[in-house]
Amino acid sequence: MDGNTLSAHIGDASSNARVWPGDDTSRVPNWVYTDPDIFARERELLFGGNGWLYTCLEAEIPNPGDFKRSQLGNRDVIAVRGTDGAISVLVNRCAHRSMQVCNAARGTTKEFVCPYHQWTYDLSGNLLGVPFRRGYRGQGGMPADFRTEDHGLQRLAVTQRHGVVFASFGSPNESFETYLGERMLGWFDRVFDGRELVVLGHMRQRIPSNWKLMFENIKDPYHASLLHVFLVTFGLFRLDQQSAVEMDDTGRHAVLVSRRGEQETNDATAQMRAFKANFALRDKRLLDPVREFPGDATVVMQTLWPNLIVQQQSNTLAMRQIVPLDARSFDLAWTFFGYADDTPEMRQRRLRQANLMGPAGLVSLDDSEAMLLSQAGIETDEDEACVVEMGGRAVVNEQHMVTETAIRGFYQHYRSVMGL
Amino acid sequence: MIAAAPGVTVGMELRARLTDLYVAYENTLNDGAFEAWPDHFTEACVYRIIPKENQDAGFPVAVIYCESRGMLADRVVALRETALYAPRTMRLMTSGISLRSIDDDGMYLTASFAVFQTMQDQPSEVFLCGRYQDRVVDDGGALRFAERLCIYDSTIVPLSLVYPL
Repeated sequence: MDGNTLSAHIGDASSNARVWPGDDTSRVPNWVYTDPDIFARERELLFGGNGWLYTCLEAEIPNPGDFKRSQLGNRDVIAVRGTDGAISVLVNRCAHRSMQVCNAARGTTKEFVCPYHQWTYDLSGNLLGVPFRRGYRGQGGMPADFRTEDHGLQRLAVTQRHGVVFASFGSPNESFETYLGERMLGWFDRVFDGRELVVLGHMRQRIPSNWKLMFENIKDPYHASLLHVFLVTFGLFRLDQQSAVEMDDTGRHAVLVSRRGEQETNDATAQMRAFKANFALRDKRLLDPVREFPGDATVVMQTLWPNLIVQQQSNTLAMRQIVPLDARSFDLAWTFFGYADDTPEMRQRRLRQANLMGPAGLVSLDDSEAMLLSQAGIETDEDEACVVEMGGRAVVNEQHMVTETAIRGFYQHYRSVMGL
Repeated sequence: MIAAAPGVTVGMELRARLTDLYVAYENTLNDGAFEAWPDHFTEACVYRIIPKENQDAGFPVAVIYCESRGMLADRVVALRETALYAPRTMRLMTSGISLRSIDDDGMYLTASFAVFQTMQDQPSEVFLCGRYQDRVVDDGGALRFAERLCIYDSTIVPLSLVYPL
């Protein structure tokens, strides 16, 4: 029996002994990516608390009775539109013996019937009926004081904004708008401007690393100009372009903003070994972006605490939902979308540019592979720490890319929620 | 060897040529000869890899979507020159190749595929399995894929899809 297992058996939770290195977040200890006790606390405090968790798009469940399964934290839920059009988010667990009441990924139904003993729930999760509740010929049955009202499916708090559904296991004391803050809400509304959304499809990949590495990746503009040869070479995202890293007041949400540049050589490309001046595409339709949003930003990647990345890279739009499985693995669930009023040409452009993203993405492939290698390095010593001081040690908004400020902001909030 | 669906008449020579195409395609990928991969397609080909859930739900988005031989070649350059990935070996196996029908636009075939992946110092594992839906044409004397749709059964891709299927 190793030391950690022994500690667990005698009730000495090792995470209680965890001490964050230093008083800021310019160091992130490796044990946040490995410790099962830390993961258990994240499940309770980050994913089970008062935060608003991305659940699905309304366009996935447009009609009464439409449902879609989703995973919040590592808990399975059903998002369902009721007969009155209202959306409920229900934990997929029968109130009787905890069996999953729904095993289809999506569909349309009038009610949820548990396959085990056919306890039946309406679309709001209310228990409608229990077979043999009164027994049979005077024998058996539930106790006289059994009340169906007390045995519905667990319901989450739900909020919606411009076609996007969020839910919470806790009792959020702030609206979604307050939760995001004015600055982040502005960026959110840039993509979700109230137009009807259309789902273009899903992708999902299982990544053998801690889930937080995914968030950090999208909060880190420094890597984008160095790791992503494809992005850099075609000027889709370059450190020398006009850009910004912004956060809300808590540091938990962030946005990376970039403008497109040319495939040109300058004093910055000298430090980007990734840059390939002579590389040209044989079929240029792959990179044929058109401006479609107000302002001059061409890439806006928004990270919303604790489980969502909103991707707008040129004309490819996607929700990337982070589904943590355990301390060392997570699923990344992508939902690609467009707008109902897209022209056929724009629809085609979105499908084409989806080549940049997903498990085979010309850009995002690098990230999933990098996370594999990061986790492998982290595993060599969980008492070591990562250095996060590009751009200083403070948490401030910046108008450039040479900074890790948003990672520091994330951990500033993380430490306060986790009590670390 | 390919099988013909009931009612489809196909001579031994064409069966042999189709079999050669499928085996040659498999060998190209298993040998890591990716530069030769686009040669198995027509200039105006459509190549897509999509999860079965998208196919079943009618969602168009694909994990890889190429609309020409040039885009396939661009994928190969990306694979060789721009992408970062951990070393691995893939092995594609194709079976149950069936000629479903023939019309003026070509020959329509389906097949099952399984791709095994071996990461460095790890045991081999099933990476993806699924079904090809193909349209094959005689392109100036050579049989080539005018369309190849790779539908994988799982919703989940383990880590990332580096090599084409």
